[in-house]
Amino acid sequence: MINETELIEQLKQGDETAFKTIVEQWKDMVYNTILGIVQNETEAEDLAQDVFIKVFEKISTFKGDSKFSTWLYRIATTTALDHLRSKKRKKRFGFLQSLGGDGDEKESIPDFHHPGISLDNKERAAVLFKAIDGLPENQKTAYTLHKLEGLSYRDVSEVLNTTVSAVESLMSRANQNLRKQLEEYYNKHYK
Amino acid sequence: MTSKEKIQQEIEQTLQCLDGAKRAEANPFLFTRIKARMDRKANVWERSFSFISKPAIAVAIVVMVMAVNGWALWDNSGTIEPITTADPNVSELANEYNVVASVDNYDYENLTNE
Repeated sequence: MINETELIEQLKQGDETAFKTIVEQWKDMVYNTILGIVQNETEAEDLAQDVFIKVFEKISTFKGDSKFSTWLYRIATTTALDHLRSKKRKKRFGFLQSLGGDGDEKESIPDFHHPGISLDNKERAAVLFKAIDGLPENQKTAYTLHKLEGLSYRDVSEVLNTTVSAVESLMSRANQNLRKQLEEYYNKHYK
Repeated sequence: MTSKEKIQQEIEQTLQCLDGAKRAEANPFLFTRIKARMDRKANVWERSFSFISKPAIAVAIVVMVMAVNGWALWDNSGTIEPITTADPNVSELANEYNVVASVDNYDYENLTNE
């Protein structure tokens, strides 16, 4: 089996077999990360394709200063967050249009069910994902990488290009925000 | 157990529900789809570049650009008249504020001597 460094060197030469191996080896990691952030399976698949196309086009810029997986996580999270930003912009524009016209339809966001969650936790996880969606970008990224991808705080700090203590603080704030949102939710729905 | 305690319990359980979640699996045909997208992208560029680089098309484009330039030069030659007088309203305003308003005469020396 070819090691990672050789694989990257071959990809730099434009080798299609190396590219295929890279996609096959890292596709679940990329897809799962993006899915956790965008919370939509169709969009996550399209974005995972975008990520690997970027990898193919930008591999010459990978200098090997960080792990390849860290570089890949960075591209995946940036792509997912960019997508969310552009979606938000479009939604705002749509809202402005609806003010001027015939729009009294309110878009209701469907519950997101992550395919990796066991059936008995499905409903609970949908509530949690809705709360995660309300987190600020950096907290959402750190939380997703740690909870869904199982990365350690050190690994998360490398992806986010920050310190371990900054990640600890991000996670603590994320937990506080989630608790607040969940408390509101359960106060409203719990009888 | 009070309702507040029950709610706290629900929150704790919800926060822990991602523990042990399995990784979502990507489409098994992801590489095929990526490849198809890359080929489509390359084809668009290839087709447009190969069309433009055909000798007949390239020569036609150059001739067309030269013709448009030639026509523009011929059309404009002799039609541009130099402006020799300023707008009476502007002159009036200029006189009022003691400013030289002529567009073809920048007589700075006289202006400063006045």
